[in-house]
Amino acid sequence: MAKLINLTINGTPVTVPAGTLVVDAAKKIGIDIPVFCYHPKMEPVGMCRQCLVEIGRPMVDRATGQPVLNEDGSPKLQFMPKLETACTNPVSEGMAVFTETAKAKSGQKEILELLLTSHPLDCPVCDKGGECPLQNLTMEHAADESRFIFDEKHRAEKHVPLGDLIFLDRERCIQCARCIRFQDIIAGEPVLGFYQRGRNTDIVTYGEPGFDSIFSGNTSDICPVGALTTADFRFGARPWELKQAASVCSQCPVGCNVTFNVRREAKAGGGYVIKRVMPRQNEQVNEIWMCDKGRFAGYQYTEAESRLMATPAGLDAAVGQAVAKLVESQSETVFLASGRLANEDLFTLKQLAAALHAKTYLYTQHGGGEFTTAYGLTSGADLGALGKGDTVLVAASDLYNEAPLWHLRLKAAAQRGATLIVAAARATKLDEFASFVVRYAYGDEVATIQALPAKDKIGEAIKNANNLMIFYGSDGLGLAGTTALAQSCAELFSISPVSQLTGSPVSQSASFPVEQLTGKPEDRTTEQPEDRTTEQPENRTTRKSNTGLIGVWSTPNQQGALEMGFRPAENLAAELAGKTVYVIAADPAGDDPALAEALKAAKTVIAQDILTTKTVKLADVVLPAAAFTEREGTYTNGERRVQRFYPAVPTRPGTKADFALLAEVAKGCGIALEGRSPLLVMNRLSTAEPAFSGVSYETLSQPAEQWPLIGRSDLYYGGTSYENKLGLGVTLALQPKADRQSSTVSGLRPKENEFLAVPVTKLYDLGATVAPAKLLSAHIERSAVAALHPVTVEKLGLGAGDQLSVEINGAQFTFRAALDASISTGVVLIPRSMGLAISAPALVKLHAAEKA
Amino acid sequence: MLKEFGKGLGTILRALFFEKKVTIQYPEQTRPVAPRYRGRHVLHRYDNGLEKCIGCSLCAAACPSDAIFVEASENTDEKRFSPGERYASTYEINMLRCIYCGFCEDACPTEAITLEHQYELSFTDRRDAIYTKERLIEAAPQGMSATPQVTEPGKFTRSVPEMRDPQD
Amino acid sequence: MPHILLRHRDIPDIKNIEVYKQNGGFESLKKAVTTLQPKQVVEEVKASGLRGRGGAGFPTGVKWSFLPDNLWPHYVVCNADESEPGTFKDREIMTYNPYQFLEGVAIACYAVGATEGYIYLRGEFYPIAEQLDACLAEMEKQGYLGDKLFGTETSIRLKTHLGAGAYICGEETALLESIEGKRGQPRLRPPFPAVVGLYGKPTVINNVETLTNLPYIIEHGAAGFRQNGTEKSPGVKIFSLSGNVANPGNYELPLGTTFRELIFTHGGGIPNGRKLRAIMPAGASSSIIRVDDAVFDKVMDTPMDYENVQSVGSMLGSASVILIDDTHTMDWVINKTIHFFKHESCGKCTPCRDGNYWMLHLTERIHAGQASAQDVKLLDSVAAQVYGKCLCALGDFSTMAVRTAIERFPEDFEKVKA
Repeated sequence: MAKLINLTINGTPVTVPAGTLVVDAAKKIGIDIPVFCYHPKMEPVGMCRQCLVEIGRPMVDRATGQPVLNEDGSPKLQFMPKLETACTNPVSEGMAVFTETAKAKSGQKEILELLLTSHPLDCPVCDKGGECPLQNLTMEHAADESRFIFDEKHRAEKHVPLGDLIFLDRERCIQCARCIRFQDIIAGEPVLGFYQRGRNTDIVTYGEPGFDSIFSGNTSDICPVGALTTADFRFGARPWELKQAASVCSQCPVGCNVTFNVRREAKAGGGYVIKRVMPRQNEQVNEIWMCDKGRFAGYQYTEAESRLMATPAGLDAAVGQAVAKLVESQSETVFLASGRLANEDLFTLKQLAAALHAKTYLYTQHGGGEFTTAYGLTSGADLGALGKGDTVLVAASDLYNEAPLWHLRLKAAAQRGATLIVAAARATKLDEFASFVVRYAYGDEVATIQALPAKDKIGEAIKNANNLMIFYGSDGLGLAGTTALAQSCAELFSISPVSQLTGSPVSQSASFPVEQLTGKPEDRTTEQPEDRTTEQPENRTTRKSNTGLIGVWSTPNQQGALEMGFRPAENLAAELAGKTVYVIAADPAGDDPALAEALKAAKTVIAQDILTTKTVKLADVVLPAAAFTEREGTYTNGERRVQRFYPAVPTRPGTKADFALLAEVAKGCGIALEGRSPLLVMNRLSTAEPAFSGVSYETLSQPAEQWPLIGRSDLYYGGTSYENKLGLGVTLALQPKADRQSSTVSGLRPKENEFLAVPVTKLYDLGATVAPAKLLSAHIERSAVAALHPVTVEKLGLGAGDQLSVEINGAQFTFRAALDASISTGVVLIPRSMGLAISAPALVKLHAAEKA
Repeated sequence: MLKEFGKGLGTILRALFFEKKVTIQYPEQTRPVAPRYRGRHVLHRYDNGLEKCIGCSLCAAACPSDAIFVEASENTDEKRFSPGERYASTYEINMLRCIYCGFCEDACPTEAITLEHQYELSFTDRRDAIYTKERLIEAAPQGMSATPQVTEPGKFTRSVPEMRDPQD
Repeated sequence: MPHILLRHRDIPDIKNIEVYKQNGGFESLKKAVTTLQPKQVVEEVKASGLRGRGGAGFPTGVKWSFLPDNLWPHYVVCNADESEPGTFKDREIMTYNPYQFLEGVAIACYAVGATEGYIYLRGEFYPIAEQLDACLAEMEKQGYLGDKLFGTETSIRLKTHLGAGAYICGEETALLESIEGKRGQPRLRPPFPAVVGLYGKPTVINNVETLTNLPYIIEHGAAGFRQNGTEKSPGVKIFSLSGNVANPGNYELPLGTTFRELIFTHGGGIPNGRKLRAIMPAGASSSIIRVDDAVFDKVMDTPMDYENVQSVGSMLGSASVILIDDTHTMDWVINKTIHFFKHESCGKCTPCRDGNYWMLHLTERIHAGQASAQDVKLLDSVAAQVYGKCLCALGDFSTMAVRTAIERFPEDFEKVKA
């Protein structure tokens, strides 16, 4: 705990930790000091000079070291001859800050005037107009007439595309460098910079292609003027016309809190449409950031042309048909659901299946979930709290592509001093920030993880970690591979003192205390035996809340499905034959031709989805569902945090939320399920599922004060991200440990002329939830590459960018070849959801594609 | 009694032959309105035919009866509606809601919208009361093409004209 | 009196290492390294009262003693980014008397325990950089640089670094940024370079002329150094005299020499029989001293040292004395200086970036006679607006000439548009 410092600001006493900056200390007691270049998430630079204040420090007699006192006995203050910047001065004991004196105010006013003299009068057409810090401060402080000659104003280019997503208006830029510093420091992708100097200073991009970053949208949020605008929202609407709907991003397991801005549009027949996606503050999940995939593909798929509409016969008829099929098949039904469903949907489905005695499977190629429910994170977990002494292991996951915000937060954790170990078969972006990079050959994942404790420094870091957090992904792995990997990762907890996270070492998994299932998460803290020193020499008395196993899933709510007991089938195709298959929010036919065949061999296929997928096309009964933007619900993110999303736009006619559809189907089958409101479903869910005990819509929607304070009227402080007023979510309780399996993954060995093809995840792919985002099409196109070792590419007589034909199980597919020197020569990386079905490592033949 | 009758008749005869007549034969004849009369809105163009309206939606924000609806889009030099980057792709005024207060005129940064002298507004369908941009905008000046225009790159980069000491 | 810094004027070929050695070259370095403790060198320099010749006049020994002993390595950086208009003293030292200068850098390195020193030259000094590189190679060859100097454990290496020609890189923190390969813009202070400097390590930054004094101080001791100059400003100083003067050039004179002596005895007075009208004693960054009949003698008899120049309303700075005769008006002068500062403003902080932009527009209009009386007031107010609000000193410097010109030469700002 840092030392506390007492000071006064405008006469109001305030006590803050040492090292706090004056501007932040003022903020804490509600005094707004205007800033432009300062941002609470970044180190101060003192460039804009807007935060000028008077700072008095107690005078000390140099000879005696005693404070000099006024006649009335109060300490005499010493002022600098010049005004000082509040953003660069840390507080000191006895300091007296004055932000409202005539001198300070005139200083601020003068800086504002200078900023305005080179700023265009664009407010009527500027996208920032209405939520612009410079505009607000001008209205508040600035003179209403210029003292300068209009014709002598600085002119600059107004339409500069930095990339295809971000546009720069050089005239509006006030050179605060927030965007540059965000890219350098927070995103770790230094693609922006200043060019020229003095009044000619301009922002330029060094990226190739321009502004090559997956966090670029955030620069527009923190830009204190309208210099950076996003392609999706340019001239889209005025901020004051927008309504806000709190939601959770559905693109990856991070579960970034977002706000959908909606308004009525003539183009949409007077109905509400989503105009943009903005991050919503949740310091424990996404802070105030989000990735470009969430921003530019966040909701577009719910408006895709392929969106399922009501069948001509109507929804009731479709439900009737589905009921008839289910009544007939009863326990011969197989339900197949994915983590795209909300918790409420999955729970309703679980009940329906149980009543029918039917089987349910989780549709995923990413196994090992049974370990995350037992070893996952618990209440109090926060990636933002990882630091010195903590160890993070990222195994077989390219977080940059799979879960960008986790990449961002682990990068920050590493920079705060956490030991970051990246174990991957290829180079990933996170390597740069890792303390240790462990490189292995595809197929050796489990052996590599098992060997980690034996390594000197890495073993040490794992054994002596204050907190041990492990992320495991599916880079180059299928279902069996990921399951085995999860198990080997979970075993690492048994060698580290942090295994006591649930009060019992892993080896005693059977003796799981019952109260942990029902008690509130916090209760366990007190039950944590503090005299574990017999086992562990270190004196660790604090609970390891930041310890756990995290699966880097591909869907937003796979963790929720796992918590409710949904598991993937080992051989899905075999399970489907001859059955009545009810597929919800999944497209097995589109993902894998083998599964398409299996579905064709099924007795009946009932598909419930929001988009017209291949599975929907071959289904006998189709139930159009409402998208997550059109309904309420909750997702459980990879950190086991349940978060609530709210409806942003009205439900499309003829569709219903998944849980409501399922409840209607159940009703037809004579089973009474809750279908009225997700709130009521959650009430039942929290009673029925131990992990969800204590979770209710009320607890989920409780906001708490977070630091920094953002999204209020003082937009200049934190940018235009939204304040979280609708809940930070609740982390689930842990479940009993899974039985340990002894699964072995048979390694594939390529024969001559064969290559080992492994699936890898790209941020931008042709998946159903990404491809409809038109703005990202160039980015998706760039990602559609199969990566090979340079030597292999050369051997095949190719160069980077040439067409490469991949032959898998007799099927041919063409990719552009890309180079990756970090992999072995016998491997080809095939992107998932890019047209070629590859669910697990496979052997393929490669040759140069014939030139068209 | 006759005296009073004659007095009254005198008044009538005086009015009939000597006073100026105030009744006019509307609609054949119309009475001129005051110069600053607030009638139906007109969207104006510059002399070169480009629309003055830049789709900023400030009129809609100022409108006390929420009668105006604007949607903006981006101009290109190949397809230019107004100077600068932004133009109104949808502009609607609901004349049944409008109270003809003139706040929209005041709010307009480009003097694109003014309330003119047309007051003959009657509708047989409520939908007809919604005036779209096509109905509101004035014709292109003589010899100038209507919008969209193809314009010289780099010529029309600014939306808000340089108005020094705007009059009125 | 023989020169102390401009010794090449007495010994023509001193830029030859052999000649330099014959004239006592490297004896001071040898004396320091072999007989003195680093602390003793610091104390000696402190005692000598040597003050920074770059402009600020901060005591050099005191600056060195700020370096923390628990953070290593230490660096010495020599600021050879001589960019102040009117200053051309470092360039003469480095061109004609390079070894004395380099010996000084090496002594500074020894004093603060630095094994590496950087000489940061402005981009236009590439011929000098080339020559210095040759000198450094020669010194290394002859054992005056490198490992195990004079048989001790001391090792010192020096490198030259060329900037890209930005005035701001003469500001010490911008200079450090530039050496590190970053954009040359000033850093926030504190932390000061003495604690967090080059590559985040404790660093001393000294001017060329300051360092060139060191061999003399070590050789003659603090007392010997104090033979010249005044009590508070000891030693000699090179005055760069330019402008409307008969004999412009560098003059090595003791600190405290009067303006009269510099201008009339050495500089040969004002040519063409014109009258001296104004003095800028610290280059373009100066407050302009008005010289008219009323104050002529007072100004002329002012000793040029760090204290007394303030009494006539200016600063000694880097002692680049620019003389302006009565053929020029101050609106022309400030138009020139602001043109320079607007061009050289780095753009990092608002007041300097935008303030200089507007000041230039105003001075141009005023100089062209296109301005109104209001514009002169506006210029003064913009200068006041910039002053005291900037991140570094450049912003403040840019306003000095403007404000003093308007205040002290009001008659030059009366030719305004009706």
